[in-house]
Amino acid sequence: MKILRDHSTFLAVVVFLIAFPFLMALLDGQSIGAMLAGQSGNSKFYQGLLIEIFILGIFALSYDLLFGITGLLSFGHAMFFAVGAYTAGLALKSLKLPLPQTLGLVILAGIAQALLFSIVLPRVKGITFALVTLGFASVFHIVIMSHELNDLAGGDVGLQNIPKPDYLDPAAQRLTFYFVALAFTILVYLFYRRFVDSPTGRVCIAIRENEHRAQMLGYNTFYFKLVALIVSGITAALGGALHALYQPIVSPVTASLAYTVNALLIILIGGVGTLSGALVGAAVFRLLQFFLDKFFGESSSFILGVVYVALVLFLPYGIIGTWRAHRLEWQAAWRARFARVATMLNRKT
Amino acid sequence: MTGITNLLRKNRTQSITLAALVVLFLLALQGMEPSDWIITVLRGLSVAAVTFLVASGFSLIFGLMDVLNLAHGTLFMIGAYLGWTAYVRPDTLLDLATPFALFIAGLMLAPLWDAGLSRARVAMRAGRVLPWLILALGLGVLAFGLVRYPITAWDASVYDKSPVVFGVQLDLGQTDLPAPLTADRAQVILAMMSVFAGGALVALGLALNAARQRLAAPRVTWRALWLPLSLIVVGVLVYALNDALTAGVVAAGTTWRFCIAVIVATLAGAGLGALMESTLIRPLYARPIYQLMLTLGLGVIGREVVIALWGRTQMQMPKPALFNAMGKGCPAETLWDALINQCATINFMGTRIRTYNEIFIFVVGVIVLIVVWMLLQRTRIGMIIRAGVQDRAMVEALGINVRQVFTFVFALGVGLAALGGVLAGPSMGVSDDMGESLLLAGLIALAIGGLTSFPGAAAGSLLVGLLQQFIVKYGQIGIALPFGAQPFKPTPPLVPASTLLLMVIILLVMPNGLFGRRE
Repeated sequence: MKILRDHSTFLAVVVFLIAFPFLMALLDGQSIGAMLAGQSGNSKFYQGLLIEIFILGIFALSYDLLFGITGLLSFGHAMFFAVGAYTAGLALKSLKLPLPQTLGLVILAGIAQALLFSIVLPRVKGITFALVTLGFASVFHIVIMSHELNDLAGGDVGLQNIPKPDYLDPAAQRLTFYFVALAFTILVYLFYRRFVDSPTGRVCIAIRENEHRAQMLGYNTFYFKLVALIVSGITAALGGALHALYQPIVSPVTASLAYTVNALLIILIGGVGTLSGALVGAAVFRLLQFFLDKFFGESSSFILGVVYVALVLFLPYGIIGTWRAHRLEWQAAWRARFARVATMLNRKT
Repeated sequence: MTGITNLLRKNRTQSITLAALVVLFLLALQGMEPSDWIITVLRGLSVAAVTFLVASGFSLIFGLMDVLNLAHGTLFMIGAYLGWTAYVRPDTLLDLATPFALFIAGLMLAPLWDAGLSRARVAMRAGRVLPWLILALGLGVLAFGLVRYPITAWDASVYDKSPVVFGVQLDLGQTDLPAPLTADRAQVILAMMSVFAGGALVALGLALNAARQRLAAPRVTWRALWLPLSLIVVGVLVYALNDALTAGVVAAGTTWRFCIAVIVATLAGAGLGALMESTLIRPLYARPIYQLMLTLGLGVIGREVVIALWGRTQMQMPKPALFNAMGKGCPAETLWDALINQCATINFMGTRIRTYNEIFIFVVGVIVLIVVWMLLQRTRIGMIIRAGVQDRAMVEALGINVRQVFTFVFALGVGLAALGGVLAGPSMGVSDDMGESLLLAGLIALAIGGLTSFPGAAAGSLLVGLLQQFIVKYGQIGIALPFGAQPFKPTPPLVPASTLLLMVIILLVMPNGLFGRRE
């Protein structure tokens, strides 16, 4: 029971997300059977939107571990994601590997990437690290787009016609894909929570707060940053693999600075270093994008810009961060209001 | 001599890398004609000058305030668009001048409000919502006035009246501006008054918001009122003399119009920068990472506003007459001849050089470099800026109002970017995506030069500009590699990649950049 009470919000969200496809079908007047058979409708459509949110959320979580927890600002994080996506796509398409081996390859690619980034770790710090990683990622972006690799990676259109396993086909088996993505997101989130609470994670937070002090306490901060990079890299690469499985095209845009900036925006919206903020931020970010596009069309990016500025000004530490900072006083204020109403009602009766 | 040897020994890795880069560069120069070489260097210098105008503001802002202003590319573009408007459509500019002056005059009433509020002690009771309501009301009144004020503008949705057409017309040497709108005098006076009132209300809202957080009442200087008053006079005068002024500016010729455009764009950019810093960025110094989100959002907003006002199509900005003649005595043999005959090109060492693109932009870049350098080295405010870059807290502790210096530096940085935009207009064309590549190039130049160092920004821009142009040139003529029969031709995407690689190499060897201080 204690578990239920302590994690009530988290559990409520998970239950809601599990029930979501069915609820959506009911709202839409679609029979559950038709929904289970994967017929198109609102339910299927919003499942797709949520899958995109899960993938973005995984990507943003990995960025939050790197930047929000360990304090390493990287402008090349999209490269992890893109390498995962392209590795998965190429392994499935050109090497014709089955899915488990592909995922193994993706994990290896993520580790290799993290090791590449870690080469520069001891030399550059702060904003310089961000710029060097930006350099790596942009070079990768340009290489993947180049004409010489057209046959392999598809040039500036991207990787197309990736064969997807039948049991996980996003078109026919959307519901299965939805639950797989949901389960994976929850697993990653729980793993990250555990990681941050572990001694290693605590040292990572110490590095963010004051690296010199962590060094003086006897920690070799390089190894801890390396661990954070590897964990973050593997997660982002797996997120990329999921992206490759879900989307019809793996576009080279996934390696661009704009994609990293998306992750940064997401965790700024949700709250830096809060983990759950990354998921909330991903949902807010994608839904905002989607509904603004739907209702405002052309001028949606203008409104998106205004929303960003407003968020910065009115939610100073992101949604979750501000909520955590002000929760007690807000709850107290509401309790006082309720109490006032209650006394007024009492007086009347 | 021993000094040099010691220096080399101390920085062995650095020297070896630099030497390797230089050798690679010289090797690459084989198989290039001297004339090709000269034109490429000159083009590189010109690109470097534009990059420098962006990177220098970047570096000043980042150095003093630790703000990575991601809206800098957009501000560069806005500079180009404002310059285009002043250059191609002086009538619109003059029409806009009156409401603008009145609005600013209204905003400048802020000290008055501050004083009144602290006397009346209303600010404490105003609450949290009232200031915002007043702000919104002020913006509404401003919009009400602006809609009623007659502004002869273009219409991006109608082809004959679109900005593109006006640009092309000016390029052909015609200036037929549309007839000014006629409006009822009472209407205009109402519009002018509501614009002024809008400014005053916005100032009141901001003052209320600020007064809530202030402990002591600010000192009032009634002398601060002469500026808004004179602005009102200027605004009304411009309205009264609108037709005569427009005719005068059109008759003055494109060279003078270009001068006006440069001044207008730079000042407007500086004003925009000051406004951005004092309203939006100032609350965020306590949480630096959110500045990234804010400036990013502002960049997006600015770009969308530009698209909404000027349309998506790329516009031409013809070169000023001083650099545009083709006829008698052109292409000129010497610089002096070129100036006398107003030539577009010069013959130099067997190639033809464009006076505007390759010479004028570079000269302006050098002048800006010298002026800002003198400002930083020889004036009091420059001294404060340099001290602030080294240790901001200490400067504050010495009793210097760093806030004002921050606003000044932000205005200076954005003004320089806007200047870069209007200068680049005639050579690059004016389009809404011109800022993005410059933002990246400026960032790279900044990183190469060492983030906070002003000469570093210049050196970084130089490297970036030259490298870019050489890669572009080799894309045309091909590069002979020691192995491989075919000459290697770098494709256009390799241009940004090469500068990024240069940045990565330099940062890995010298983590603080070429001119950066060791932390």
